[in-house]
Amino acid sequence: MPVSDVLAFSDVAFRYPDEPSPVLEDVSLKLHVGDKWLVKGPSGCGKSTLFYLLNGLYPDACDGELTGTRILFGKPYEQYRPGEISQVIATVFQDPDSQFCMPTVEEELAFTLENQSVPRGQMEEQITRTLEETGLTAFRHRVIQTLSGGEKQRVATACALIMKPKIVLLDEPLAHLDPMTAREYVQWFSALQQRHEWTVLVIDHQAELWRDFFDHVIELGEHVPISETKRTTPSSSKPVGSGLFKARVNVPGILNTAELQLESGTITVLAGPNGAGKSTLLKAVAGLIPSAEREVYTQSIGYVPQSPEFLFMTSSVRQEVALGGGIRTETYIDKLLLGAVAASNPFAVSQGQKRRTALAAMLNDARSVLLLDEPTAGQDAYALEELEDALFQVVTDGAALLVVTHDMNFASRIADALLLIRDGDMSGPFVPRSVFSNPALLEKYRLVASEGGSIDVNMAAPVESFY
Amino acid sequence: MSTWLHRLNPSIKMLVTFVFIFALAFYFDPWTPLLMFGAVLVVQVLFSRIDWKRWLMLMLPFALGAVGYFWTTYVFGTAEDRLDTALSLSFRVFAFSSLSLLFVLTTSPMTFIMSLMQQLKLSPKLAYSLLVGYQFLPVLKEEFIQIRQVQQLRRPQHNQTTWSRLRSLPTVAIPLLAGAVRKAEKTAFAMEARGFTGSRERTYFHEVTWHRFDFYFAALLTLIFSLCLVVGAFL
Repeated sequence: MPVSDVLAFSDVAFRYPDEPSPVLEDVSLKLHVGDKWLVKGPSGCGKSTLFYLLNGLYPDACDGELTGTRILFGKPYEQYRPGEISQVIATVFQDPDSQFCMPTVEEELAFTLENQSVPRGQMEEQITRTLEETGLTAFRHRVIQTLSGGEKQRVATACALIMKPKIVLLDEPLAHLDPMTAREYVQWFSALQQRHEWTVLVIDHQAELWRDFFDHVIELGEHVPISETKRTTPSSSKPVGSGLFKARVNVPGILNTAELQLESGTITVLAGPNGAGKSTLLKAVAGLIPSAEREVYTQSIGYVPQSPEFLFMTSSVRQEVALGGGIRTETYIDKLLLGAVAASNPFAVSQGQKRRTALAAMLNDARSVLLLDEPTAGQDAYALEELEDALFQVVTDGAALLVVTHDMNFASRIADALLLIRDGDMSGPFVPRSVFSNPALLEKYRLVASEGGSIDVNMAAPVESFY
Repeated sequence: MSTWLHRLNPSIKMLVTFVFIFALAFYFDPWTPLLMFGAVLVVQVLFSRIDWKRWLMLMLPFALGAVGYFWTTYVFGTAEDRLDTALSLSFRVFAFSSLSLLFVLTTSPMTFIMSLMQQLKLSPKLAYSLLVGYQFLPVLKEEFIQIRQVQQLRRPQHNQTTWSRLRSLPTVAIPLLAGAVRKAEKTAFAMEARGFTGSRERTYFHEVTWHRFDFYFAALLTLIFSLCLVVGAFL
């Protein structure tokens, strides 16, 4: 093996102990200094497993069955002592909240150094240097829980960098960031990458946010062909619950008075930077914030939180859909493609299926206004496509949808109208196309123009007549 | 007023407090525990800054227990000296609880766990689990509130009785626990990926040390305890 290889996998296959077939097969990789790899593939194809095999947590952490050879700097993985590999390979995980174990930024950075038994006298200097290099000095004594999503993601990255790694693995670092924050993170990270010449692997479903950062791509799993989604025009019969839904809400100190108008049969997208009050607005409209002033003109409002399983109270998808006493259980199970999992426990199905179960349950309760909080975070292209189908089904039935998302490609594909929010001030509705072609407006709300997500002409047309 | 008690080494503070709670159990006159209770209060007033309202709230259940002891022993007792026994039992409850509260209210949980690991050789695996669990608490509380809210949205109940809230607890607990288990697994992976092995060979950014003050604390309590004994014996 040439010495220039940083890491080499040959014919690596991995099987989880309780599953019949391997999740990864025939993986051969050669990584060189400064390589930048994008890891692609649908959910469940083994992207995270690959990361755990790279950073040495597997097979020990799960007793899986591993074949093939893994070599890091000319030495097989098995010959490294526990904890030694993680000094060379740093990993930043998807959900920044669950990777912190200390209260403040400084202590969190120190945790990495403590694990490496760095003498206490050197910690101060290393922490200061890392904070300066990453531009986080001002956050040194901040409590991590009080930081914004983007700041947390940078702190998590800094915690990995302080160990002076050679290889950096990022698992969906942008999943919870608004588009502009995501772009800024990419710039910040690529500057650091250039200076240190790390070998980088990134799992990301929104590769376009990285622009031309990557020079290699790994595709894992079978490529699932994505069917063209077409929005079916509403049937001529009058859809249920047609009309205009109006609401006025105000949450003192967080959200200034916002007036909403949602037309039944349409999808409205609410966008804006992290911490602007998007989730608060949805919760306030749904009546979940006791201190909010709220005027709504219907009580049949459904709400699907970012973690749809928060809603679940029964032990099967079917019971979950039927819980509210609705009579169209089977109809909605079919419509939202839940037939195959109708008897499964709602906690055990995929994230996309959970969300569709929640949607079906809300619809079956005859809730004609549906509010969805961040349904796109961490969803692969296939799941997004299914979600889009589901949402189009729902509006065809005459429901009014309000969707919060950071994914502007998704927004441009589904939105009939766009609401923008910033620092608790909501404005709009806007025609989506006009927003995406208005750089000043995008800048103000920390959004980026959609790319690649071609706007269906048939879809955009009714909007203009609407307003 | 100083904050001396807050700055003591938590492990030593805990051990000393335990020793005196244990020692107190061997004296059965009513006066020793009563004096001890008073003395501990004086020490706490002089050397700590605590929220006395909170102290009172925490003391309340102990006080009820003490009254219970007194009542049972005095009213249902038959022996000649049952008043002494009853008083002794209830004063003991006060003395024990005041000593425990002295420890609890002047110790930060973080420093306590750090100290357990550094002075009493608690395994880092266990210690860091506790630390992470402690960080999780506010998040879990927030999720609990959120789950209860969204579930109420699905099953509107017009009269929110305490009973209906209690009955809904299991359905709230399931998503909460499912989330917590997943989160714990993620955190464990993240910690391991950052080089945490659970081995004792690690350095500490926050070194929890002990000084001569910690011995002053032991000495002070010994002095107080002896005085209480002597005075108690005369009374």
